[in-house]
Amino acid sequence: MEQKVNIALIDRVKDKLSNLILESKKKLKDCSYVDLRVAVSERQAATAQDGMMKSSIRDYGLSYGLRVIAGKEMLAPGYFAESLGTADVDGLPDVIESGLLQAYERAIASSRMKSERKSGWEDLGQSLWSSKLAPIKACQDTIPGVYKISPLDISLEEISRLTQEISKAVASYDSRVKVNGILIETSLARQLFVSSEMTNIDRTYALTQGLCVVVAVGNSGNQQTHYDCLGHQRGWEILTDGVQEEFIKLKPFMHFALDLAADSVSLSEARPCPSSGKDVVVVTDPNYNTLLVHEIIGHPSELDRGLKMETAYAGRSWFLRNFNQNMLGKQVASHLVSAYSDPLLPGYGHYEYDDEGTPVKRIMHIDKGIFSGFMNSRQTAAILGAEPNGHFKAADASYVPLIRMSTTVFGNGERDPQSIISEVDHGYYLAGHRIPSISESRENFRITARKVYEINNGKLGEMFRDGGMMANSKDYLMSVDAVGNDLRMYPIFNCGKGQPMQGKKLGNGGPTMRGRARLVGGKG
Amino acid sequence: MKEVKDLEQSVQEAMAFLRTQPEVKSALAFASANNRLWTRLNYTSHIPSNGVEEPKSTGDYGIGIQIVVDSPDGKKVGFGSEEKDLSLEGVRLAFAKAKQGAVVDPEFQSLPQPTGERRSLFHYHDPTIMNLTDQGLVEAGWKVLDGAIGSFLGSEKLKSAAANGRLSDLGLIVGGDLTVLQERMAIASYEMPDVQSDESAIITAYVTAMVEKGDAKGSGYSVHLRLNDLSGKAGSEGAQNAINSLNGIRVPSGDYAVILGPQPIAELLDNLVIPSCTTSAFYSLESCFLGKLGSQVASEVLTMVDRGNAPGLVGSRGITCEGLPTGETVLIKGGVLSGLLSDWYEYQRILNDPKGKEKLGVSPADFRQAMTPRSGFRFSRGGGRSFGMLPTASSTNVVFESSAGTDLETLIRKVNKGILVGRLWYTYPVNGLRAGDLTTTLTADSYFIEDGRIKAPIKVNTLRINDNISNILMGIRGITRDTRPAVLWGADEIVYAPLGLMVDKVHFEAIAEFMEETY
Repeated sequence: MEQKVNIALIDRVKDKLSNLILESKKKLKDCSYVDLRVAVSERQAATAQDGMMKSSIRDYGLSYGLRVIAGKEMLAPGYFAESLGTADVDGLPDVIESGLLQAYERAIASSRMKSERKSGWEDLGQSLWSSKLAPIKACQDTIPGVYKISPLDISLEEISRLTQEISKAVASYDSRVKVNGILIETSLARQLFVSSEMTNIDRTYALTQGLCVVVAVGNSGNQQTHYDCLGHQRGWEILTDGVQEEFIKLKPFMHFALDLAADSVSLSEARPCPSSGKDVVVVTDPNYNTLLVHEIIGHPSELDRGLKMETAYAGRSWFLRNFNQNMLGKQVASHLVSAYSDPLLPGYGHYEYDDEGTPVKRIMHIDKGIFSGFMNSRQTAAILGAEPNGHFKAADASYVPLIRMSTTVFGNGERDPQSIISEVDHGYYLAGHRIPSISESRENFRITARKVYEINNGKLGEMFRDGGMMANSKDYLMSVDAVGNDLRMYPIFNCGKGQPMQGKKLGNGGPTMRGRARLVGGKG
Repeated sequence: MKEVKDLEQSVQEAMAFLRTQPEVKSALAFASANNRLWTRLNYTSHIPSNGVEEPKSTGDYGIGIQIVVDSPDGKKVGFGSEEKDLSLEGVRLAFAKAKQGAVVDPEFQSLPQPTGERRSLFHYHDPTIMNLTDQGLVEAGWKVLDGAIGSFLGSEKLKSAAANGRLSDLGLIVGGDLTVLQERMAIASYEMPDVQSDESAIITAYVTAMVEKGDAKGSGYSVHLRLNDLSGKAGSEGAQNAINSLNGIRVPSGDYAVILGPQPIAELLDNLVIPSCTTSAFYSLESCFLGKLGSQVASEVLTMVDRGNAPGLVGSRGITCEGLPTGETVLIKGGVLSGLLSDWYEYQRILNDPKGKEKLGVSPADFRQAMTPRSGFRFSRGGGRSFGMLPTASSTNVVFESSAGTDLETLIRKVNKGILVGRLWYTYPVNGLRAGDLTTTLTADSYFIEDGRIKAPIKVNTLRINDNISNILMGIRGITRDTRPAVLWGADEIVYAPLGLMVDKVHFEAIAEFMEETY
């Protein structure tokens, strides 16, 4: 029997759903705006541990999410979402219409209660506003997926075979590799966005990734656990052939996993990283800077944090205290440092329109050391009086979108990375990212590296395990005195934000950089 | 939302269908229906805001089938699920996926089998929570905000801090959410053919409030098993705690005696201790307690139990998502690691692991009772028991017991110079779970203690802890009798944490000094 939930489903329902949204907006009393996201995916995945298969699956997914803005005296938003299945396909417009009415009821109820409190809360009610979205151009577009080997054309047996083969190879790499886990998944997804403003975006994309976890125990009993991810918005070919693009260079997954095994084994024999107690010269490689830019530039540049909307969860941003006190136009980094977000860059963070149908654009966050802009949504853009720049995205259609990074990077510099190291009399080279912890408004960070090398007289010396760097974000950024010309981007497969938590795939990267920070080892 | 009887009927039909398939040697059917409703809150006095930002929900129902089939390669196990279809057609679709994806897993022993324990918790939730209307959901969120705004408006301290009496210029913030979880499930299998079912519903509220001009932040939270108990309490608590934190001071780097409040205790447990107390973490050599089952891992002051069948506690369930009874797992008793959270697969795996003794530190067979699989749950999607997931070990209600418990004021009086830590942020094992190294920052509700008295609030985001979980656990010197449930962002379990846990020494670093000049 033909599988009913498939990518082609969107073709069959696109026009009906678009009309439903347009008609509903006209029909529902005091309704100002409606939008709908419907997402279909077809996915295959397999897992293996220590050379043994654990699972494999070929499955599909269908979900939708609705936003309604409505109200008599004041406008308020209401949302509704569901995960759906095969049984919903034939009656999909009716299912969505039912959900739309619930979203509308919530908006109307909230609108009424907001109006009551506008006066009831005295002085404090004045900041309650009638929900607004900054205007955008209503676009209609269809974007196909990019891949050489469709995720649907590879058999589940082949996926399982490769998964097990890699797990076996990692297990037998060295007797000090004690445990390994391999996950491979490949999928084709399609999302339709339609709004009552006549935006209609139909986007298909492939997504393939391999995750590897290795636990190694050295001869003296030191244990190291490391994980890494290879992924792109491409087809099966990235696992077998790797990726060779201008800024994304990843080996085929077998080699990628074996490299991780090799690192884990050498680290299990390494000495623990010392702590410097004071600032030292630190050179960070593009992979470490992938997590660094993510945490201390990307996240605080999300305007919902700046506007306090994430105070209870992901935190605020030290880039903006209020409309009169903020870092816009002010120096936050050395003039050598630039950073930006660009959804049109390739990789996990690539897209052309966000989940409000806003066409995307590159946003400079730091322009030669000067803080210059936030990622935003239509609502936050309206609050700040800015133009929407297309950074409102959800991990799935059933979640309400949030302001998320697309691909956020440190800008490329001009220096040869080798010369950046060779100039250092004494310092440390941090290679590969591991685990972060950042303070609530992103003003301080501690991020561990996979490997830490001591630099003496311009050369890499001893390698240490369990080390990283810690600094106040501004102090570190201001200390940067060399930026390399070797920009690389890497996938981040699990950025968490929102209530409920949404784990989002996105991209980050940067070149080699040199600055000053405290080196921090472990206490265990 | 689908009724329990619909789910029961679905698994019954699934079992009957599966028994007609000759290749199926064993099978399990799990059907569930979940509704997750939230009002996300966002109020700012100095920036346009909606107040109730997102009244929203996600819902799902469906069936998951796990099968064991014979094949020329040996026993194969597979799993498949189908969303929004409890009929026989849905069962067929799930079964087809399970068959297609079945693999030979040499470590798979069997589907869950009776452990000899009996279910003890039935009919334990308020059915009116299941019938919450859209209007009721929205109203509940506004009620929490009313609580916070009421506290701000009624505060003399705040009025005197406001220039020209305009409270709005103080940069008042209220964020967080009200969450309603409605769960229903049914399960049956070849090994446990009687259809079992369960139903639960809880409400939690989680609020962060700020007086941003004074760098003051406070938290409020509440958990409810009854719809009628809902109030604005979490909001008013958050706001009051923010007001209490005005005029915060900076504290220099150093080692300090510490009293951890409920949220920090829950944060450390959720990110380091509980993950280390699972059989899977021992199997994969990742637990920070590796090789120490039956050994001292904490001060003898600490006794910590996972209690999944306790009536009146928010995380309780009648049965696990494997159809096994929930119960009590003593994790740490008098500082000794005494038990581990297990699901059936990991339980069987460690019992049959030739390196099991090396990993646990004791013979698995001698300690099988300590690893009884009472904790296999399918939590997912922000709450709910998912038919589309295989079970993993999860805690439910983590409770503390101590014969030496005292009150918070007595603990504070014992501290010469130290810190009452009210809320931690971004707590991670930075060098991997095994090493136990942790880092985290203080972000609210924290106070400097001097000469046995609270001296002053600590300014938000000015201290980082860099230490090791083993040092903290072994350094526990006192604990309060009284506890309260702590709600954590993104966590499935509820920790009924002591109001105070005293630790003799923790290392702090002063951070973010540049902010004094910036704002």
